[in-house]
Amino acid sequence: MPDTTSLDHPAQRAFNPYTENGGTILAIAGADFSVIAGDTRQSEGYSIQTRYAPKVFQLTDRAVLAVNGFAADGNMFVKKVKQRLEWYRHAHSKDMPLRAIARLIQTMLYGRRFFPYYVYNILGGIEEDGTGAVYSFDPVGSYEREACRAAGAAQSLVQPFLDNQIYFKNQRPAHNTSHPVHLPLATVLSIVIDSFTGATERHIEVGDGLEIYVVLAKGRGLHGLEGVRGVQELTATDDGERVFVVRRELKKD
Amino acid sequence: MFLTRSEYDRGVNTFSPEGRLFQVEYAIEAIKLGSTTVGVRTPEGVVLAVEKRVQSPLLESSSIEKIMEIDRHLGCAMSGLTADARTMIDHARVTAQNHAFTYDEPIKVESVTQAVCDLALRFGESVHDEGAMMSRPFGVALLIAGIDELGPQLYHTDPSGTFMRYDAKAIGSGSEAAQSELQSKWYKQMTLSAAQTLTLQVLKQVMEEKLDHHNVQLAQVTPQNGFEILDEVNLKEIIDAM
Amino acid sequence: MNSLIQRYAGSSAASQQRRNVSTVDDDDEFSDAMWGSEAGFGSLAKGVPSFMVPSVPDPAAFLRLHTDDHADPSCKIKIQHGTTTLAFRFQGGVIVAVDSRATAGSYVASGTVKKVIEINPYLLGTMAGGAADCQYWETYLGMHCRLHELRNRERISVSAASKYLSNLVYSYKGMGLSMGTMICGWDKTGPALFYVDSDGTRLKGDLFSVGSGSTFAYGVLDQGYRWDLTDEEAQELGRRSIYAAGHRDAFSGNTCNLYHVKEHGWDFIGNYDITTLHYDGPGNVSGSPGHGYGYEIRVEGQTSANPPEVVAQA
Repeated sequence: MPDTTSLDHPAQRAFNPYTENGGTILAIAGADFSVIAGDTRQSEGYSIQTRYAPKVFQLTDRAVLAVNGFAADGNMFVKKVKQRLEWYRHAHSKDMPLRAIARLIQTMLYGRRFFPYYVYNILGGIEEDGTGAVYSFDPVGSYEREACRAAGAAQSLVQPFLDNQIYFKNQRPAHNTSHPVHLPLATVLSIVIDSFTGATERHIEVGDGLEIYVVLAKGRGLHGLEGVRGVQELTATDDGERVFVVRRELKKD
Repeated sequence: MFLTRSEYDRGVNTFSPEGRLFQVEYAIEAIKLGSTTVGVRTPEGVVLAVEKRVQSPLLESSSIEKIMEIDRHLGCAMSGLTADARTMIDHARVTAQNHAFTYDEPIKVESVTQAVCDLALRFGESVHDEGAMMSRPFGVALLIAGIDELGPQLYHTDPSGTFMRYDAKAIGSGSEAAQSELQSKWYKQMTLSAAQTLTLQVLKQVMEEKLDHHNVQLAQVTPQNGFEILDEVNLKEIIDAM
Repeated sequence: MNSLIQRYAGSSAASQQRRNVSTVDDDDEFSDAMWGSEAGFGSLAKGVPSFMVPSVPDPAAFLRLHTDDHADPSCKIKIQHGTTTLAFRFQGGVIVAVDSRATAGSYVASGTVKKVIEINPYLLGTMAGGAADCQYWETYLGMHCRLHELRNRERISVSAASKYLSNLVYSYKGMGLSMGTMICGWDKTGPALFYVDSDGTRLKGDLFSVGSGSTFAYGVLDQGYRWDLTDEEAQELGRRSIYAAGHRDAFSGNTCNLYHVKEHGWDFIGNYDITTLHYDGPGNVSGSPGHGYGYEIRVEGQTSANPPEVVAQA
């Protein structure tokens, strides 16, 4: 017998072009480096769609963008940012500086103010003055330069940990000492890895793999990166900033 | 078969059999009627100088505006149909501001010059959705001076939409004599004040009237102060020291 | 030629106020204008920004469904919201003070937001409501103030700047923008202050506070306000009012940013941690009371926890 009950009342359908694909991203800026990381799990609801879907992308020799939220929007957004970077290269015959990319991302996100990209962006890299920088964005383009930022499913698990470990929030330094303003790369890398192993333990949408991009300022040595397991260099030029990726496994359950 | 020469110069979109666009060439001729304008680039900044033709003693010479600011780091001097230059300079200003808005950085000198030249080519028939276009080429040449990460630069644009970078350039009615003078007097490590004096000396040679602080205008772009038009007091000092 | 000039000039009332929304695929916004000098301006290629709108009967309802976290805390896109801001005019200029907390639902998304937007060296705007709306449109306003300056060889008045912004957001009325801002500056008329919001309201006034913590800020502000406040007193009043809002409003807090607009333009006075203000006060700055703002600090030894000894009545 056909189901007629559903015809009793007109059903209202809303246009819903969004879904949530889980995962977490984070970025930390040092004095002369920047670290941008994300897990590689992509899920919808309680099912895992893939164990390797990158969320962190190299944009230029000194800029890396992490995207989180709705994966389709995220991938399309990265594609469009890369297109604009290419146009800029043709028009102005240089790579776009980091702060220019940050402003560009604001205008691109805001261009969709009435049909937003469901994407949380974190941009990391090296500024023109050689300092490490992190910019974080909301889905419609408000942005701010920060020292560190976590976003995504486990944001509320990771950010308090970073506040504690990077900003030393609510901590008093030991007598006659002070908190460091910038942490060394080796310390930052272990904080990033601990953030993700911790988030994997306590959040069902985080896990599988970890990709950590490291951007080093021009002329800076490897200090802190030598001997790191699974490191791979992505730099294309030999006289500028250097970009590395560290790939690690996370728990797969 | 072939149309006579005079028939090839009617349309702005018709090449002559020798491959010339007469209307564009005539527009370039229009600049030679304009007042002389000189630009000199030095490692310390760029200097622009123009002759103001004060045709009547009743004319307020301060109302003649031939050097304009595009942005803090960019200035522009013109020769030819100065009314046309207003459209171009407003386009340059809007482009510079749009760039600053979109990229949070000052626009490069070459990029703003390119933008002006793109506009210069928008004459002729309209492209499908663009509505009415300009009916004729601009009758003005510009000297665009500015500073960016590549240092002080001077560009010259003409009605054909061509632009070139110069160390020193003269445009307008006295440009031929002025250009050869610049060629013999310009040197690489020129100071800014030497450039100020040079531009005025060059103008003095080609001007019919006696040069004073009312009938010339001097501007400069420096890393410290950006674009500035020198006031009459400053200008008089430089003229007196010549 | 006229329409071309109008397009490039972008200053005509029509081109500025025209609402630029496209319901078509956004690849179209680049069109053939993308060759040449407009390449790379994206939605700004036509001189006025254009926005993509979903092809649904009611785009505003669509936006509300997915982004309005007051109506539905479980909605996906959580736009950051700003919270307590104040500005007042007095004999020495305009004081602008704001908190720095941004919340997305009940999560503190950031404690370091710059809610004072430095439009240019002599104009400030404040941020309450949608963080992106304020940041974007006030930056956009800054660009037009600069163009006004180049075209008219004089600085735009605060009144004109605020009206420009108000007309701009009014043209998007009903589309879901959320913005409550104060435009502060100093022009030929002296210190000037205007309140502008996304409903289209524009008010000239001496004293405003905007945001969820505004009632708390007003309490302190109204009580201590005088036209003839000294600079130090005025700065202290701004700090103290933001502290009060940070203390009593859950959506406000973290730190206070204080600015003072004077004749030569604005000065950044300082950033003060609300917790530090509570326990220790603003520190060694002019106007400081020399102790914490918290009442239990001020009345130490006189609260129920440790009441003063009652002298026996004779």
